[in-house]
Amino acid sequence: MRAKRKTGLIFFPAYDWEISPTHPERKERLLYTQDQVLEEGLLDIEGIDEFKADLATEHDIQRVHFCVPDVESRITPSHNISAGGCIKAARLVLSGVVERAFALVRPPGHHAMRVVHGSRGFCTINIEAVMVEWIRKNHPGIRRIAIVDTDCHHGDGTQDIYWHDPDVLYISIHQDGRTLYPGSGFPSEYGGPQAPGLTVNIPLPPMTGDEGILWALENAVLPILDDFKPDLVVNSAGQDNHYTDPITNMSFSAQGYARLNELLAPHICVLEGGYSIEGALPYVNTGIILALAGLDYTSIAEPDYGPERLRQDPEVTLYIKRLCEQILLMWRARDSLRPPSRPYFERSKSIYYDTDSIAERQHETIKGCPHCPGAVRIDSAASTGRRILGVHLPRRACEACRSQAYRWYEEPRDTYGAVYLQDMDKDEFLSRYPKAVDPAFKA
Amino acid sequence: MVLGIDVGGTHTDAVCVDKGTVVSSAKTLTGSDLVASISNVIEGLGIDCRKVQRVTLSTTLCTNAIVERKHAPVGMICSAGPGLDPALFAVGPYFKRVSGAIDHRGREFAPIKREEVWDAAQEIRKAGCPGVGVVSKFSVRNPSHEKAVAEIIGGLFDFVCLGHTISGSLNFPRRINSTYLNAAVMPVQERFVKSVGEAMDRMGIRAPLFFLKADGGTYTAEAASRLPVETILSGPAASMMGGIALDGVRSGCAFIVDIGGTTTDIGVVVNGVPLIEPGGVAIDGLKTLVRGMRVTSVGVGGDSVINATGAGGLAIGPVREGLPACLGGPCPTPMDALAVLGAFRADAQAARSALEPGAKEVGMDVFSFSQKVVETMSHRIKDAAESFLADVNAHPVYTIHEMLHPDVLVPDRVILIGGPADLLKDAISRVMGLPVHVPDHAGVANALGAALARTTAQITLHADTEMKRLVCPELGIEQEIPRTMDLEELKALGIRAMAERAASLGLADEFDAQVIEESTFTMVRGFSTVGKNMRVRIQTRPGLIREWEVLP
Repeated sequence: MRAKRKTGLIFFPAYDWEISPTHPERKERLLYTQDQVLEEGLLDIEGIDEFKADLATEHDIQRVHFCVPDVESRITPSHNISAGGCIKAARLVLSGVVERAFALVRPPGHHAMRVVHGSRGFCTINIEAVMVEWIRKNHPGIRRIAIVDTDCHHGDGTQDIYWHDPDVLYISIHQDGRTLYPGSGFPSEYGGPQAPGLTVNIPLPPMTGDEGILWALENAVLPILDDFKPDLVVNSAGQDNHYTDPITNMSFSAQGYARLNELLAPHICVLEGGYSIEGALPYVNTGIILALAGLDYTSIAEPDYGPERLRQDPEVTLYIKRLCEQILLMWRARDSLRPPSRPYFERSKSIYYDTDSIAERQHETIKGCPHCPGAVRIDSAASTGRRILGVHLPRRACEACRSQAYRWYEEPRDTYGAVYLQDMDKDEFLSRYPKAVDPAFKA
Repeated sequence: MVLGIDVGGTHTDAVCVDKGTVVSSAKTLTGSDLVASISNVIEGLGIDCRKVQRVTLSTTLCTNAIVERKHAPVGMICSAGPGLDPALFAVGPYFKRVSGAIDHRGREFAPIKREEVWDAAQEIRKAGCPGVGVVSKFSVRNPSHEKAVAEIIGGLFDFVCLGHTISGSLNFPRRINSTYLNAAVMPVQERFVKSVGEAMDRMGIRAPLFFLKADGGTYTAEAASRLPVETILSGPAASMMGGIALDGVRSGCAFIVDIGGTTTDIGVVVNGVPLIEPGGVAIDGLKTLVRGMRVTSVGVGGDSVINATGAGGLAIGPVREGLPACLGGPCPTPMDALAVLGAFRADAQAARSALEPGAKEVGMDVFSFSQKVVETMSHRIKDAAESFLADVNAHPVYTIHEMLHPDVLVPDRVILIGGPADLLKDAISRVMGLPVHVPDHAGVANALGAALARTTAQITLHADTEMKRLVCPELGIEQEIPRTMDLEELKALGIRAMAERAASLGLADEFDAQVIEESTFTMVRGFSTVGKNMRVRIQTRPGLIREWEVLP
């Protein structure tokens, strides 16, 4: 047997890392997946190979995040490895060693936003974003990237990081935020003023099955991708839409996941959530690997799989059809979503870090620049007592935005414990600590 | 005194070792009468057979039977349940799929159907197969389906091989291949073991008999008759174990390079023990679960054909066209280059004439051209060794600890064996930038390796305290365990069981059991702990028998 497409697996189960012994994100999580993959002999299939993860560096992480007070205090080596596993996946695909890659790594990342005061939704750093920024730095030919997030939870972290980015399309299919953590991800969240329409949220009702998710894929996601014409497609492959998942309410199956990946044909898959570690993950991952490799997956099934039992309510089907029509209409009319031009746009938001019980208030300013994506200024204060200023100077920034960004960075004398600057074009990440004598800030 | 006998397709070699020295060696042609060949070679040793305390055989007969397709026809009966279609892994002419499914924790979720199994077996029997292999997916977690099938069909066949008895490792397709090959070579092995027994009787040797396995260890005749698949690919193991024995250094990390006529095998030795292929070796293109030495083969040897390709280009191998020109062969070879350089004593004139056209093609004199040949060959070996090492060191790891503290192998010397070893020593040393040791008696390294290798075995334990179940496929253990069992208790239980049932594993020497893999996972369902999932792998420390090791 030979894979139709050469496929690389980066398997890093982190058997010595957990949030706590009984937390869903625990050492045992990928144990049965590894058993299944080994027993099925997937790694012996010609054209499917396993690779060792890279280690993401502090610089790789700074390309995405303002870690407060610094990268070292926020992460553990497990994060360097799981983000490094994603970078390895990208390296393999972009150097042509494989055509598809799957980073089966943990801990996950899609709830981590640009500013990191702590961990939320089991995530500390956004491993896909670290990978995407590594790609843009090292492979400038890859200009347009689409991230399709099929985790059951809205990827609010990835949405936050790419909210203003006109070159990265973020699409999330998830269980409706009115019924599940993190409570966001509605169609009205369609991206910032400089990138309107390039965030696409498709919230599905509880008990959506294979039929509904695949409908959304074929009738909303794929047509949008056809339009956007990305150079690279990434799937945030959470596996918690599964009918056996203990913390969600959907009815997706291993067959559905495999079909989804066959249709979407992502270059890179990154594991996100998925906590039915015995009943779902072994079968879902086997299905995804086969689909990526272009092999027949139709005989993969959970031991208790019964398509009749999982049949979707006709009302759910109807709801999803209408929703997808609206989403597509909105996408096609995305130019009309652009607000009238202004020198600056502002927004405020509250963020809660459930894993670490930290509350944060953010005030964000973006330059309404007609020439480039626009410099961004984030003023963030957390219940830890830490207040920081983060300045993001995007790729292809114009001279005006560049000098604005450096002014923002250099201005503060006090107020902030730390000031950060991300200069994406120069790949330089600066930080300074104006209240140098405040011992509490770095403690 | 101990004997090692290597029965190859062409030659049978024997060596006798006593008190840490090679007492004598002998060589004879392998004839169709194996009893005669083995008796002859022992006779050639000129020793007092009554003093022999141990005899170990290594043979390529099983390998040849597979490669030449001269093995028995065998049928396969497999159950899989959902997952990849087992038809993708069909081996042999009679491959039958039956119902039955077991999951990763060893829980049955579809039963075996008696009539279905019986019908499949009847069909295989009617086709004339004397034996059958039985494999189910996840049988190493729960062998009950394989056992049930064996019970249903037992009377119909001369021999039935069950997948879980061959290896405790996961990998259903490899389990199918290993079981199939094991069944296929059973009659060949049976004849071989019988012939050896007769030869021993004829020579008056009453010592225990052992057979060399692909991992460089040995096992008893009884175990070899049951698990002959382990002897397949013991060829490289024999000469490499011999090289290690003769080398004498038992610490540090070294390349071991065996230069043959057609190919050069390269392995790595750590503290006197060769590196093992983690997943199992491939035999005739079939990937198996058989533990074997991890080696890479590069298609250059002393007799490889040399082609000058113009513009300074030079290709060596992979073809071999018989003997080197300096020994009367048709084509220029590295041995001819060595003859021109004065290292190899043979017909140097013939060597020069054979190399001349190539030298002209690249615009060199014959002497410089010969130097270039040796240089190029050494570089090929170096490149292969380096990429092999990079592969070994690039293996994926699954814990943060291993990721941050990688176990990187850095060989600091080369053990060089095989025909032209002495002649290439300096060139290899210069090109690889490492000291090279060519041990004495390298010509009988294969028989010597067999003579001196210890018996080895490995067991796999899987304990699930929620299900209160322990399975050790290699020892045939399936037992209830207390919910409170922990990893230390499991390891102790494994080591005890290994000692108690050493004979069934083919172990005879004293052995040090060492735990080579251990893990324990707390199983959490909902938000409470329901048990532990523990995995332990124990092996006996491989190496050389005491008779050799205690003396310098």
